[in-house]
Amino acid sequence: MAKHDTPMLDELEKGPWPSFVSDIKRQAEKNPDCWDILGQLELSYRDKITHWKHGGIVGVFGYGGGIVGRYSDVPKQFPGVEHFHTVRVNQPASKYYSTENLRALMDLWEKHGSGMTNMHGSTGDIVLLGCRTEALEPFFWDLTHELGQDLGGSGSNLRTPANCLGQSRCEWSCFDTEEACHHLTMHYQDEIHRPAFPYKFKFKFSGCPNDCVAALARSDFAVIGNWKDDIRIDQAAVKEYVAGNIPSNGGAHSGRDWGAFDIKKEVLDLCPTECMWMEGDELKIDNSECTRCMHCINVMPRALRPGKVQGASINIGAKAPILDGAQFATLIIPFIEVTAENEFENVIEVIENIWDWWMEVGKNRERVGETMQRVGLPTFIKVMGLDPIPQHVREPRSNPYVFWQEEEVPGGFDRDVEEFRKRHAA
Amino acid sequence: MGYDPENPMADRITDVGPPHYSKFHPPVIAKNKGKWLWHEITQPGVLVHKAESGDECWTVRVGAARLISIELIREMCDVADAHCDGYLRFTTRNNVEFMVDSKDKVQPLLDDLASRGNKFPVGGTGAGVTNIVHTQGWVHCHTPATDASGVVKAVMDELFDYFVTMSLPAQVRIALACCLNMCGAVHASDIAILGVHRKPPMIDHSRITGVCELPLAISACPLGAVKPAKAEVNGEEIKTVKVNNDRCMFCGNCYTMCPAMPLADPDGDGIAILVGGKVSNSRSAPKFSKLVIPFLPNTPPRWPETVEAVKNILEVYAGDAKKYERIGEWAERIGWEKFFEKCNIPFTIKSVDDYRLAYDTWRTTTQFKYTSHIK
Amino acid sequence: MGMSDDEIKAAIIEKAKKSPKPQLYIKDFYKCDPDTKPRKIKNLANALVREGELMFWSSGSTTMYARPDRIKNEEGDEGIN
Repeated sequence: MAKHDTPMLDELEKGPWPSFVSDIKRQAEKNPDCWDILGQLELSYRDKITHWKHGGIVGVFGYGGGIVGRYSDVPKQFPGVEHFHTVRVNQPASKYYSTENLRALMDLWEKHGSGMTNMHGSTGDIVLLGCRTEALEPFFWDLTHELGQDLGGSGSNLRTPANCLGQSRCEWSCFDTEEACHHLTMHYQDEIHRPAFPYKFKFKFSGCPNDCVAALARSDFAVIGNWKDDIRIDQAAVKEYVAGNIPSNGGAHSGRDWGAFDIKKEVLDLCPTECMWMEGDELKIDNSECTRCMHCINVMPRALRPGKVQGASINIGAKAPILDGAQFATLIIPFIEVTAENEFENVIEVIENIWDWWMEVGKNRERVGETMQRVGLPTFIKVMGLDPIPQHVREPRSNPYVFWQEEEVPGGFDRDVEEFRKRHAA
Repeated sequence: MGYDPENPMADRITDVGPPHYSKFHPPVIAKNKGKWLWHEITQPGVLVHKAESGDECWTVRVGAARLISIELIREMCDVADAHCDGYLRFTTRNNVEFMVDSKDKVQPLLDDLASRGNKFPVGGTGAGVTNIVHTQGWVHCHTPATDASGVVKAVMDELFDYFVTMSLPAQVRIALACCLNMCGAVHASDIAILGVHRKPPMIDHSRITGVCELPLAISACPLGAVKPAKAEVNGEEIKTVKVNNDRCMFCGNCYTMCPAMPLADPDGDGIAILVGGKVSNSRSAPKFSKLVIPFLPNTPPRWPETVEAVKNILEVYAGDAKKYERIGEWAERIGWEKFFEKCNIPFTIKSVDDYRLAYDTWRTTTQFKYTSHIK
Repeated sequence: MGMSDDEIKAAIIEKAKKSPKPQLYIKDFYKCDPDTKPRKIKNLANALVREGELMFWSSGSTTMYARPDRIKNEEGDEGIN
């Protein structure tokens, strides 16, 4: 039986898309505290403002992350949500679950919390919404002992790493994203659970330049699959596409009649580097000109595949706009092998190079991309011990204000103005 | 056994991390990992992946709200137990994927899903609108300028046909973040719905001493608009801060560090619309979303202005763009002046950048198109 | 030659006690021994949390350190860590 009138929220039970309101009501039949979620949200809909208070100090002992405190500012009206803390549980890589595991986790959340969740949060965690302070330690005890699972990151920690599903179910993935994600998550447990940095730091792993986990847009350290050699072509399949026997773009456009497939218009002409052409009915690619944007492969997945010499590009420093404006991650290492065979040792070396520098130079609440902006890309390239290459920039600088170092200039910076005046009258 | 509050450190386990992913792979995934050949979307929401072994993995993708109950998750588990050997997965966009290892298992799965009311809409693939990723909003956040779940529900109800079909020129990724902090990082979405504040923070002098470290609040402001000040509380002079309202950009960063500086407001807060971002490197480089509508009011429960604005942009794009063109690629090809004209969106000074790095967006060529903007 | 672990820990506690602001960023502790790598100082500060000498204070997006007896909690709850 509903505890509060929620006429505005009830409007959101209509329509074809699944309704979170109906779902909260379903949960409220099991856990009456959930009526107060609806009650307080209805009040926010009336007042057009949030009724949640600022954080507060909550967590489990010894961890500086994984729990975000949340309290109602109208607890008398809605006692069921007086404390309504968020628990972030580190998701398994790729977000596959056995129902056995998922049910056990849900049972645990039924025992200790509201029963509402996000599957998943933006960073990737399983987000469990709504738990009282005194339930946090018992929940954590059960989570670690019964399920062998752990919390994710928050605050100035390494945030929970995330990956696209990679080779588990995608033919394009150029490295094992889930193994890389899992291995580094385990390797850096301390950094995930305890603050280590000037501000948050995110890892994301995408298997190819389509970048399905938005690593380039969202992570401080983006590992994005890439390859070195030639795109693999199955000429027989190319002919099938040209003959219209296989739907283009993996069938993604089948809902509208776009006319017969036109390889020139849909593939050759849309190639950003114009490095493809037809010779008779054979597709040719000048791979030395290819920038591996994925368009042709996306359009003809049965005919074209990434090359066999596979690895990843590493881009560094993406972030949302707060505060200096949004940044995409900058290409720092064009190609690196990413393999469990060396336990990702070469990737770890890059990560720790960045951390050692950023922990020292980064200002409080400054993302690494902002530190890079502040000190400049040339300094960052030097810190990383890399040779500058044209791939680091979109175009060379257009201003001439180079910070020359004294040792680069013959004779150095010290000069004698009196000597100078002997030859040049003032 | 269990947690003992008298002895909290006894047998404590920490730093065990997540379970190994391989425990959760369906058998067809475990067997063929790294050996997939190609994939195809056979109908909206249904994908087949073909492996070198000849095996097939058929995936049925369903949309879900981001805010879901354990009861619903248990129902998802029921479906996975009945059809999928007890495995399922979630996508980065809050969709759920049910996988089976042969084509003849797909229809029974689809029938089962369809029998459960509107809880499991099948779609979200290919050239359509997939699930909207979003933040917490009024359901669970302390800094939002709008709700998230409600706006998303209203928009998805209106765009539902685009979720269950694949009739657009390309995929359209919509995202919502409920304040400028952008937990949801909507800054590279085809259409971004963004909560914005428009009033500077108030200063709660009576509370500031108790809850706030002043240097943190002062240094939190990216524009140096927060300064130390003094105020009188109960006849006593206290140290506090003041805000230079002319310099405030309403980001709320000060409130994040100092609870005595609230800025949310029923009339001040609302929604901005940004368009034309993309994440993929396909064809063109990743792009940021651009601000095209600076403000729409908060109008719960169904935010009709926001729903209409999103639908309008989507449909003008659907009717005008070429096959494969993302919204941002289309807008760049026709020119942003044409974008505003075709979408019938008034161009305002708010779309002209005056923040850092602004010059990058100013037009420094004589190339332009004559649109109704030139009088 | 840097200070010993115990000396650094004592300096961190001293800093957390005497600093005008109760909450400190990890960077504030680096100065306790400029010859020691930041990651080591971080590990020692986190060890002090385990020992109960410091606690974490988090805004959700930023985490800081404080002496348990110097921290104010808006809710009046006991801080757990």
